Amino acid sequence: MKKRSIIMINVIIVVAILVFVALYSRTENKLSYEKQIENFENTTITMGTVTENYLDGEQRICDIWAQYINSEGLTMEEAVSFIRASHVLANTSAHLVLADSLSGLSTRPKQSTSKDYAVSYAHIGLLENVDWIDEVGKSINITRAYTNPMNGEQSLAFCNKVRLKDTESGDFSEAILLRVVPIWELEQKWVFPQVEFEDAVLSMIDGNGDYILKGSSFKNSSFFEFYKSYNATDPASSKELFEKITSSSGSITMLDSHGQECILAHTPVLNTAGWTLLGFVPAKDLNAGTENWLLVIVVSAGLLILFLCDLFYMLNLNKRLQITAREANSANKAKTDFLSTMSHDIRTPMNAIIGLTTIAEKNLGDVDSTRESLRKISLASNHLLTLINDILDISKVESGKLKLSPMTFSIVETVENLVNISQPMVKEKNIDFSFHIDKMKNEYLYTDQLRLNQIYINILSNAVKYTQPGGKVSVTLREEESPKPGCTRLVYIVADTGIGMSEEFMKTMYQPFSRQIDSRVNSIQGTGLGLAITKQMVELIGGTIDCESQLGKGTTFTVALDIPLAENQRGDMKLGPIDVLIVDDDEIMLQTAVDALESLGASCRQAESGKEALDLIAQKRLSGKDYDVIIIDWKMPEMDGVETIKQIRSEVGSSIPILLISAYDWSDIEEQAKEAGANGFVSKPLFRSTLYNRISDLIGRETPQEPEDDYSDLQGMNILVAEDNDINWEIISTMLSMFKISSERAENGRICVEKMQKAKQGSYQLIFMDIQMPEMNGLDATRAIRKLEDPWASSIPIIAMTADAFSENVTECLNAGMNGHIAKPIDIKVVIKEIRRIKEGRI
Amino acid sequence: MTMKKLFCVLMTLAMLLGVSACNGSPKQEEEQAVEEGFVPSLDTASECSINVAGGYDNFEALEAEFDRFNEFYPNVELKFTKVDDYNNMIGTVLNGNDAPDIYVNYSWMFGRDQYKSSIDHAQDLSDPALRLDLDCIRSNIILNTGDGTLPMIPVFSNTYGMLVNNDLFEKEGLAVPTTYQELTDVCKALKEKGYENPLMGFSKEETTSIFTLTVYPYFCSLVADDAEAVKKLNSFDPSAGEYLRPALEKMVQLLNECGVDLEKCNEISNNYDAVILRFFEGDVPMMTCSGDTVSGTKKRESRSEAFIAHPFAYSFVPVPMSEEGANFLDMPNLQFSVNKESKNIEMADEFMLFLVSSEELGLMAQNKGLMSPTKDLSFNSMYAAFGSVPEDRILSPEVIGLTDDAVKQLRQAAYAVGTGSMSIDEAVAAYGTLGQ
Repeated sequence: MKKRSIIMINVIIVVAILVFVALYSRTENKLSYEKQIENFENTTITMGTVTENYLDGEQRICDIWAQYINSEGLTMEEAVSFIRASHVLANTSAHLVLADSLSGLSTRPKQSTSKDYAVSYAHIGLLENVDWIDEVGKSINITRAYTNPMNGEQSLAFCNKVRLKDTESGDFSEAILLRVVPIWELEQKWVFPQVEFEDAVLSMIDGNGDYILKGSSFKNSSFFEFYKSYNATDPASSKELFEKITSSSGSITMLDSHGQECILAHTPVLNTAGWTLLGFVPAKDLNAGTENWLLVIVVSAGLLILFLCDLFYMLNLNKRLQITAREANSANKAKTDFLSTMSHDIRTPMNAIIGLTTIAEKNLGDVDSTRESLRKISLASNHLLTLINDILDISKVESGKLKLSPMTFSIVETVENLVNISQPMVKEKNIDFSFHIDKMKNEYLYTDQLRLNQIYINILSNAVKYTQPGGKVSVTLREEESPKPGCTRLVYIVADTGIGMSEEFMKTMYQPFSRQIDSRVNSIQGTGLGLAITKQMVELIGGTIDCESQLGKGTTFTVALDIPLAENQRGDMKLGPIDVLIVDDDEIMLQTAVDALESLGASCRQAESGKEALDLIAQKRLSGKDYDVIIIDWKMPEMDGVETIKQIRSEVGSSIPILLISAYDWSDIEEQAKEAGANGFVSKPLFRSTLYNRISDLIGRETPQEPEDDYSDLQGMNILVAEDNDINWEIISTMLSMFKISSERAENGRICVEKMQKAKQGSYQLIFMDIQMPEMNGLDATRAIRKLEDPWASSIPIIAMTADAFSENVTECLNAGMNGHIAKPIDIKVVIKEIRRIKEGRI
Repeated sequence: MTMKKLFCVLMTLAMLLGVSACNGSPKQEEEQAVEEGFVPSLDTASECSINVAGGYDNFEALEAEFDRFNEFYPNVELKFTKVDDYNNMIGTVLNGNDAPDIYVNYSWMFGRDQYKSSIDHAQDLSDPALRLDLDCIRSNIILNTGDGTLPMIPVFSNTYGMLVNNDLFEKEGLAVPTTYQELTDVCKALKEKGYENPLMGFSKEETTSIFTLTVYPYFCSLVADDAEAVKKLNSFDPSAGEYLRPALEKMVQLLNECGVDLEKCNEISNNYDAVILRFFEGDVPMMTCSGDTVSGTKKRESRSEAFIAHPFAYSFVPVPMSEEGANFLDMPNLQFSVNKESKNIEMADEFMLFLVSSEELGLMAQNKGLMSPTKDLSFNSMYAAFGSVPEDRILSPEVIGLTDDAVKQLRQAAYAVGTGSMSIDEAVAAYGTLGQ
């Protein structure tokens, strides 16, 4: 109904405009037409004046002749001689005819003769009645157009009555003097100057409507007859019209002999004779309507186009609005669904936390029960944190606010981190876990490390989560050539033997909150956001993610990312000509390790079992040499790594450095391995840099190594903590004190700056800076500290410790002059790692 | 749905516009129809002026043809110029600066020195190159020059007859007479019904007087097949007067038997306006006149107060002077010649080519109120009665061979006898000397 109304209103407006334009155009046209008619009337009046002047001039000449003839009492012959002598114009002549006989003499001879001057008007029908000829000089006495009896030309004659003396009797007789002028003389003066009057013609009529002179468009012998022949009229109206025409100047509209509308302008000439000059022109010649109609047509076409454009634009807009409305409704529903889901998913761990806290409070005396409750609270808290992080991530992804914060990072660290994170669950579920790297030539890459970690961890953690205990998870990371210049393609493949996914679920698996309906899945904690976030992040980095899965058989995710190489790669890794024996039952692993070691300059021998390793070591010893380093995998069939080390040590002693490789957390076997004679541990996968660092350590080339549980290096450190929240202050200060690190509090950024201004050099080794604080936020405080005059104060390491955990927040912190970022809630391991990094000057 | 309707309406409008743009206008179709008859042979954009000279004060019928010709040649300006004292002046005009391209000519001018110029200036219109459709014209009114040339072509024909008040006849339950007996019977009946003047005519002058109009066709029928009589009549042989006798006697018989009141007839002042206006009074059942007079009837209807008050239907029929029926005296009226010295002779010939056709001559004659010179007389119902006259009763002075002078003698004799200034014997005896 509304659409119809709008269209109707538009149509009405368009029609109204068209009507207005048409009326306006018509009015303008009418005005222009009326002006043209007025112009034509005026032109006709002017022509009348010209005609009158001409006739007057000609009559004056005739008058002069008549006056002379009358005053001199001339005979016909004398009069003709006199006139002949005074003739100037060759085309004119004069006739003198006696009133009674209507015959006389002409000043010019008859056509084709030289001496025949006799002229007769007896049969012309012009001079039978001469009452119309006034006294000399009183008026213009002009005949109608007639045939000059002397030469047959259509002529006009200006007349006067004269008295001629009879030669013989001496009596005077009345005669008529005619000054005869060809009508073309007058017609030549009837030329309309205006182009638009090109087709106009003139006629002159007498009081009865009979033509004195007749233009080509005029018909009949009488104008009045002409009018009546082609125009419907009644006697009374026509009489009134004719009186008007013969008595005044003006114009009328009438039809010509073609039925064409014409304008007849009329003006009296020679009032005394009762004559009227008529101008006649087709009305279309005065009407400039064509151009105006063109305007109307152009406006109409324009409006129609505009209307149609608007119409289609409106339709398109409506369509888009409908789509937007549907999307808004859908989004609204999604929001409702989201809130409902969130409510459920948040309340579930919260329920566990609150419930277990209550249980713990009631069982404070029961240490085991309390510990169990706290353990479960911790699990629920971690799940809640993961959920919140995922929610924040997905909301940012969906709002398009997720941006990458690229930085140079080590893929080795990333993989180590990945392995470390996955280890607890792998271990818990007793999953056969393997991590292969292949052709990893470039250690340092340039991208958003956090997001890359998130992608890798999400996929791997899913694989571990949805693989049944005793199942298998294998990870492959390899470098391929990237089509993008300056980039390398990282292909990350995670294959598991887990529960797999149905084809139906795979269609929607990247949608938020989608989880497979499966009793086994329901028992596993998950937000249903991980894959959605992963997919978005892969796309954000410009990569691809593919999935192959069979329900009940397992899933393989393949992520390919083209990542720019960092400008500076570690290029000084050379171990020199050392002999390395590497022992592993995994052929791929063996080959990867050999490739890496040989690229470092070492020469390698491979052994696929402990027994073979012992044989090779024995052979080497027989040749008088020992391997410089032996690298042994922990998990091998028949004889595991620890047992092999024991055998080696028992056979060749403790001189050869031995590294134990494990893809698992080795904390459980650390003691056992050390007792067996292992000199160190190395985690799978074996990166060049990892091998280089570990081997260098063993053969005397020092590389920094993080102590595992030895925190003595941290003792005595004093850290300034800028934190406005009392609880957060209490947490961090308590946690730090657990590692014998002292801390001081600054309640806001301003106080922090003041403390730094007043502090002596070395008072603090580090500042943990909250960001959102009253009076002065952490960013401003950092900027202020960096501007301090004291070089020590201005260069003190500052680590952000904030709940602003997004990558852009990290970037913002780094841009403000901070040296690192720890997201709340804090993980003490991360805090200690950061403190160590700072302490070791790895800023 | 609304949008679809609107779209349909707009599309329909666009289609209608397209269709209207594709349609030829009625005028175009009309033009096409006309073009089937006349196909211009010259450049239709030609610009020139064609002047037609004649003695008429007014020649609307010709001006209508100008308009029709202008549909083919819009840039040709055609005009009709009245020449005063036409018969005497046409020679001068033809030799002067205002010489027309086409001019009116008459058969009777042929062979007379006085009008030699009018014949000498005429182009030979029988020239096949001109492609004139002479076959459409009745052959007995085409001038026979003897040498095969044709200086003029009739554009109107003339005849003698009487105007009949058809409504009056119908009112009185009478039929229009077709034989002499019927004529006298009708006159008697009308007299009895109170009509004082059942038959009237102009009688003041011998030209187209009631006497001439009644006697001439009858006389022609008497001598049409008598070559010797014609020869004697033309040569004014004193004995030829006897050939007039039966005609004169019949005329006197008619005047008597129809009770023609010559005094009343004498009140009709001229043979044109006065004849028509008297007839329009409505009390005269039959009024003799020529075709020329008939041509003026239409226009004068509005000038007659009596006719305006009591209009009636009328027609023009031949006067039945014999028991066998009426004779149709077929005479050329106006004829056109092309000035062979015309500066625009090609266009003048083109106009003649356009004009000389049954359609155009018929239309022009109908507009003028005169009889068409074409074989097809169906154009004008006024002359329908002449169309039904049997061919053997159609008489042409041209064919019979009577000279104008001989005919003039007949007119003089009839007038003298009719008005009572001479007896039939005197008139017969004076043949050849009448009017001198």
